[in-house]
Amino acid sequence: MKNIILLISLFIFFSCEEVIEIEVPSSEPKLIIDAIFEVYHNQTPVTANTVVKLRESTNYYDEEIPVITNVATVLLKDLTNDIDIIFEDNNSDGNFVPVNPFIPIENVDYELNVFYNEDLYQSQSKLVTTTEFSDVYQGNNTLFTGEEVEVNVSFIDDINVENYYLFDFSNNLFVPIEDRFFNGSTYNFSFFYQQDEIELPTDVIIKMSGVTKEYLTYFNVLISQSGQQAGGPFETIPSSLLGNIINTTNNENFPLGYFHISETDTYNLSLVELD
Amino acid sequence: MQKLIKILLFFFFTFSISAQEKHTISGTVYDKRGNETLIGATIYFSDLNVGTTTNEYGFYSITILEGTHNVSVSYLGFSEENRIIELNNKTSLDFYLSEASQTLDEVLIKTDIEKINIKSTQMSTNTLTSKSIKQIPVVLGESDIIKSIILLPGVTSAGEGASGFNVRGGSADQNLILLDEAIVFNSSHVFGFFSVFNPDVIKDVKLFKGGIPSKYGGRLSSVLDIYQKEGNNKDFKLTGGIGLISSRILAEGPLKKEKSSFLIGGRSSYAHLFLPLIDNNNEAYFYDLNTKVNYRVNKKNNVFLSAYFGKDVFGINNSFINKYGNAVTNLRWNHLFSDKLFSNLSLIYSDYFYGLILDFVGFEWDSGITNINFKYDFNHFLKDDLKLSYGVNNIYTKFNAGEIFPNREDSGIIPFKLTEKYANEFAIYLESDHDISDKFSLKYGFRFSNFSRLGQDKLNTYENDNPLIYNQQLQKYEPATPNGVLSYERSDILKSFNNFEPRLSFSYLLNFDTSFKASYNRMAQYLHLLSNTSSPTPLDIWVPSGTFIKPQILDQYAVGYFKRIKDGDFSLETELFYKDVKNRIDYINGANLVANNEIETVILNGKSRAYGLEFMLKKNEGKLRGWLAYTLSKSEQLTSGRNSSEPGINNGNWYNTPYDKTHDLSINTSYELSTRWKFNSNFLLQTGQPTNYPVGQYEFQGLNVPIYNDNLRNTDRLPTYHRLDLSATLTPTKNNYKDIQAEWVFGIYNIYNRKNAASIAFSRNTETSTNEAIKTSIFGIVPSITYNFKF
Repeated sequence: MKNIILLISLFIFFSCEEVIEIEVPSSEPKLIIDAIFEVYHNQTPVTANTVVKLRESTNYYDEEIPVITNVATVLLKDLTNDIDIIFEDNNSDGNFVPVNPFIPIENVDYELNVFYNEDLYQSQSKLVTTTEFSDVYQGNNTLFTGEEVEVNVSFIDDINVENYYLFDFSNNLFVPIEDRFFNGSTYNFSFFYQQDEIELPTDVIIKMSGVTKEYLTYFNVLISQSGQQAGGPFETIPSSLLGNIINTTNNENFPLGYFHISETDTYNLSLVELD
Repeated sequence: MQKLIKILLFFFFTFSISAQEKHTISGTVYDKRGNETLIGATIYFSDLNVGTTTNEYGFYSITILEGTHNVSVSYLGFSEENRIIELNNKTSLDFYLSEASQTLDEVLIKTDIEKINIKSTQMSTNTLTSKSIKQIPVVLGESDIIKSIILLPGVTSAGEGASGFNVRGGSADQNLILLDEAIVFNSSHVFGFFSVFNPDVIKDVKLFKGGIPSKYGGRLSSVLDIYQKEGNNKDFKLTGGIGLISSRILAEGPLKKEKSSFLIGGRSSYAHLFLPLIDNNNEAYFYDLNTKVNYRVNKKNNVFLSAYFGKDVFGINNSFINKYGNAVTNLRWNHLFSDKLFSNLSLIYSDYFYGLILDFVGFEWDSGITNINFKYDFNHFLKDDLKLSYGVNNIYTKFNAGEIFPNREDSGIIPFKLTEKYANEFAIYLESDHDISDKFSLKYGFRFSNFSRLGQDKLNTYENDNPLIYNQQLQKYEPATPNGVLSYERSDILKSFNNFEPRLSFSYLLNFDTSFKASYNRMAQYLHLLSNTSSPTPLDIWVPSGTFIKPQILDQYAVGYFKRIKDGDFSLETELFYKDVKNRIDYINGANLVANNEIETVILNGKSRAYGLEFMLKKNEGKLRGWLAYTLSKSEQLTSGRNSSEPGINNGNWYNTPYDKTHDLSINTSYELSTRWKFNSNFLLQTGQPTNYPVGQYEFQGLNVPIYNDNLRNTDRLPTYHRLDLSATLTPTKNNYKDIQAEWVFGIYNIYNRKNAASIAFSRNTETSTNEAIKTSIFGIVPSITYNFKF
């Protein structure tokens, strides 16, 4: 038996992505409440980000995101002692800050109240604690293309509690994690910046926040729909993302966004070009 | 069981009035070249106007009047064999057919075959031979059974990069795929680009879309019954092909001449071998190995042992490695109890595994599904107008839902095993194929199935037995937290389901060229593929019905009109179908199915339905042949809230399933220019797949988020899909080596380079700070060359 092998490779593989024009429907604008508070417990003195951003949704291709300024009222109620913390929008940019800065504390239920367009929106949240970074460093591994920048993160998980973490690697890059598979152990993982996500050399602030299970679920869907890994045949059927804020006046007109308070650990890292 | 059969036999005998002596003639039909049995070959007695077809093992049996008869035996691609026989007593007669030579006068479809098909009660079925599959042009020149059946009416796929196929609006997990009677769980390589079936090893492929015989059960929408060759038991032969992506080789031959044969076929891709040359550390390859040994003990006994192994490996830089594959072994014994009673006993073991290593997070994931299957099937050729099929089937399955463990020493991952699940499915069936009169034939039967979900280590309990809560305030569904865990022994039965599945079909001959057929079948499916993406992903898990998940039940009604035109030069088939499915699962928003040990907390029970019209016109004669298949259909589902205060999904209204395709047109033609050149073409035109467009946008935590309308699920469509493929086959007439048959196949897939959308994603362009719609397409124009040889 003779073996005849003739292999002519005319292998031209055209698979691609292209931007196309597709008209999409429009919808009534919705109120967006971005109230994600972070308590930076590892800083001396302890500081907190307690900004409530009020925005409005708009049509998909519009370039401007409308902000909602002092036509709305924002108020935070401390439910243990019934003290009201008033917020105001100083620069008319839709970002409300407390008139008297404060640091949210553990075991206190805070109730967010936003009064806008004759509707009262409410939500409750409590500080979710977190552990701290054990170590953060820039590694020299790569993932798929060989051009990625690696950051390795390790921390010790608390075995007594079900922990949910949200990592923020700057430049709007997030990694949500739950401790299901590493409860109580020292866990480390690598995050890779894609070539187009970062320009070296640069400084980044890496944050680790303790979050609730519900917020983690919410954020997971948010990331999959918001373009970080959107698209493809493996995408789940997208749906409207309801947060934890309700419209107490008119249940049908629900707001989007989330109210959450987390304890956050920060780490400043300088990223450089490695060989 | 015995008594039941005796009662039925008595009942049937009272209808027969025999004036003249009748005798049984039986035997096997073979391919002369290698003694390969021929499935579905026609044996036709022209003077009596009766006939029959061979079963899956090439066996036929028919009882007819004694005397002198003209018998003709025919099969697609073979020369017809005509004989005059004297039937005076019980006769055993085998036939050996010769392959029709490759000449222009070759008549591929025989008159008699068509006549039998017109009269048969079997509808909603398509048969493909290995030869016809190899001639259909496909991407990268890789002949593919799954890509071929998509050209038939009523069959579509989710797209070029998607695995699986959809039959009559059914989902990809509703197809029963059998390879030599063994169930195959994952039918594709490389995430859906190629199927696991090596076309050289395949003898016969039959697709049942409706009117499913009682012998089959366990899946709702279709049965893809694939039979491998036995192997040439006269001479040693080598067949193979070399292509751009993969190559295949098949060796077959006798172990003992005319008594025993073997077959060993392999197929492997090799693109990965060149990757190190271009400094690329990735690996991507697949292989299939089909082996079979057959021993014909004596005229009444035949034993087969076959095994299939297939594996896919896809690795990127050692940081991401994905391996999966099927392993199936099968022992079968054909036994003739008499010339009227044929039996087949099968013992099958199958193992599907899936593994994933993600080094950068330090874990390894393994999952799989293993089963042992025992089947005993009987074909009882009672009288010339009555044939019975009956048997039993038992499948014991273990579901390894997933195991996670650290892949390196410094990984913080703690080993975790999702609860293993066990189930047993038992069925018994009885069906009768009855020619009531010259014009009217009836097939009636039933399948009775029992599914038992067996005890497992941990079964969650919930407050009020409610694993899913609807939060009225926040207006969303939330998983409930289990309030306890119970432990059971394997011998405990957690939940048991019994289903009576009637199967009925009839055919009415309007005249010898035309018939009208109708069928009804009920099917029960106990296994579900959990998937909430637009097409199945490799991470999808099969789960058995049980405490929290009910079996899917289908009722399908179909009517059809069949006509032979101009004495078989053309044939027309048209069918109307309606399917109703109970207990179709859908998922709450934000459901994460990966490694989820509490699936019951994210699912909602609903129903689905599909209906449509299928039309097929075939040209069977002449230099230009082919078919036109058109399907107009709708496939939708409804998931309402469990009570009036819950909205369900899509507000409890009907919504398109992710694979609904309103129009599906395929035109396949072949043109034989000369003995050297043959051309084939495919043209496909389909409605775009359902999708969801955003209706707005907002900003949250620096991310730009699209807004979708929950009450308009799957109402938008991807752009219409269409493409044209061409291929040319060159068979050199002058070969340097006398014994080698060879051919070159040149193909161009998608010749006008249409970038069909596989998906459309909406995302933000960070450079221009605007939102865009990005279309991803998989294949543009792709040329290919394949070299096929046969010794």
